[in-house]
Amino acid sequence: MDSFFYLVMLAGAIAGASCGLLGVYIVGLRLPFIGICISHAAMAGTVFSILLGFNPILGPIAFSAAAAMSLAVLRPEKSRVDPSVAVAILFSVMLGLTFLGIGLMRGSRTEVMGLLWGSILFVERINVVVITIVGLIFTVFAVVFNKQLKVLLFSRAIALATGVHEGFVYSLFLALCGIVLAVNLPLVGGLMIFSLITCPAAAAYQICTGHRQVIFVSMFFGILSSLAGFFVSYYFDLPTGACIVIASAAIFALAAMQKAFLGRRD
Amino acid sequence: MRGGSISLSGVQVLRSGRAILNVDNLQIAPGAFIGILGTNGAGKTTLLKVCCGLIKTNRGRVIFDNKDLSRLSSWKKSTLRKRIGYIPQTAEYNADLPFTLREVVSMGRTSVKPLWARLDSEDHEIVDSWIDRLGLTGRSNQTFRSLSGGEQQKALIARAMAQEPEFLMLDEPYSNLDFNWRYQITEIVDRLYQQANITVLMVSHETNVLPCCCNRIVLLHEGHILADGKADDVLASEALERAYKCRVEVVEVDGRKYTIGRGNA
Repeated sequence: MDSFFYLVMLAGAIAGASCGLLGVYIVGLRLPFIGICISHAAMAGTVFSILLGFNPILGPIAFSAAAAMSLAVLRPEKSRVDPSVAVAILFSVMLGLTFLGIGLMRGSRTEVMGLLWGSILFVERINVVVITIVGLIFTVFAVVFNKQLKVLLFSRAIALATGVHEGFVYSLFLALCGIVLAVNLPLVGGLMIFSLITCPAAAAYQICTGHRQVIFVSMFFGILSSLAGFFVSYYFDLPTGACIVIASAAIFALAAMQKAFLGRRD
Repeated sequence: MRGGSISLSGVQVLRSGRAILNVDNLQIAPGAFIGILGTNGAGKTTLLKVCCGLIKTNRGRVIFDNKDLSRLSSWKKSTLRKRIGYIPQTAEYNADLPFTLREVVSMGRTSVKPLWARLDSEDHEIVDSWIDRLGLTGRSNQTFRSLSGGEQQKALIARAMAQEPEFLMLDEPYSNLDFNWRYQITEIVDRLYQQANITVLMVSHETNVLPCCCNRIVLLHEGHILADGKADDVLASEALERAYKCRVEVVEVDGRKYTIGRGNA
């Protein structure tokens, strides 16, 4: 195997671990659609960065962080807008902006279309450095605010009523969520990041006992999805992104079957 | 621990132009045990949330331990709520996640600690002692979702008490519980109130499951306080028939009054 593929595998493993960790909170808070909404904001950011000649990393971060903060402002305690309706509206706006940007482009659109499916095989060292730093920042956040995040996952009502400062922690979570999704987007792609966030965490929730176990197992499943998908695509000459998605869905299916046939480990 | 006080004056909460809560005056003294009764939609949970400062009022003042909630920032209000042990309705917590019972009870220490601090050995001792006091020791490492409804309610009480609160607020703590568990939870709340010297607000739409210590009842009807007084007096009053829109018969068993609905009034 070419040494370049080690970089691809490293990038895949880091993206898998980051998305696995992020997914614990997105799935646990029952907000899976937020993932796809914010990743489309990042896509819109990338399209406009290319169109206007801005920095291709900072543009999507700014767009997705702005989308995440809009969702924080529209959270149920602060507004009467149904959260799923708010996400759906924001999603359509971002999708509209993405296609508007694509429509305004002249010349080759390959770079932009790559955002839909990701381009992990074209990863550069700088991408790996950026996703590692952002992944570490999110990990530090999850460790420092672990006790508040657990209450938020268990009950928003308890978090609100007992002075957990849930507004502050939730807004910070959404902002970081936007940044994690934005930097992983060029590698994993807008369509696939959704499954890499949802499947490993949903699988871990099926079979684990205790929050700490859920976190480690979800991160492991994220890494496993990336590496298994990569190896299958490498040896059978199949599209990498699609193989990663199918691997993560297969892990969820196995976990669900384990629970169904062998019972919960409660 | 000591109980805190809450005072409401001229409070009105509007939703879509309709008043869902209208309270001219309600004084909750330190150490009181108040049952908030009423039919579904009477405004009980709204009243509880107004007392916590979770719902903004359109009019009136809410004084939480000598502090006017309308003058406080969100952060300060949140800090003030560290003194509230809150037990939500079943629909308001996520029982499907694989948290262990110990993790759920440990959540009670979250707001007590500074924002960045981790739980230390003292916190773990407090958590273990509450698990033990509620008879859940053998279940510590089991998942919350694998417990029965009654055990889950006990775990939520342990979580609230691990917070060492000045207020204990319970929102429909008996929903989904069978007769035996209702009795057990009633006894636990009674015992905690006597031992911990806290102010208790308990919301319920049922009149027969209030703990013996509940010495005052606030009866709500369509957002208004229909009766406010000693538990025995309110339970035996005509107001109860008006609120529940049915004839109510009161029977006394072992010195405790029980109410029986007898068809339309």
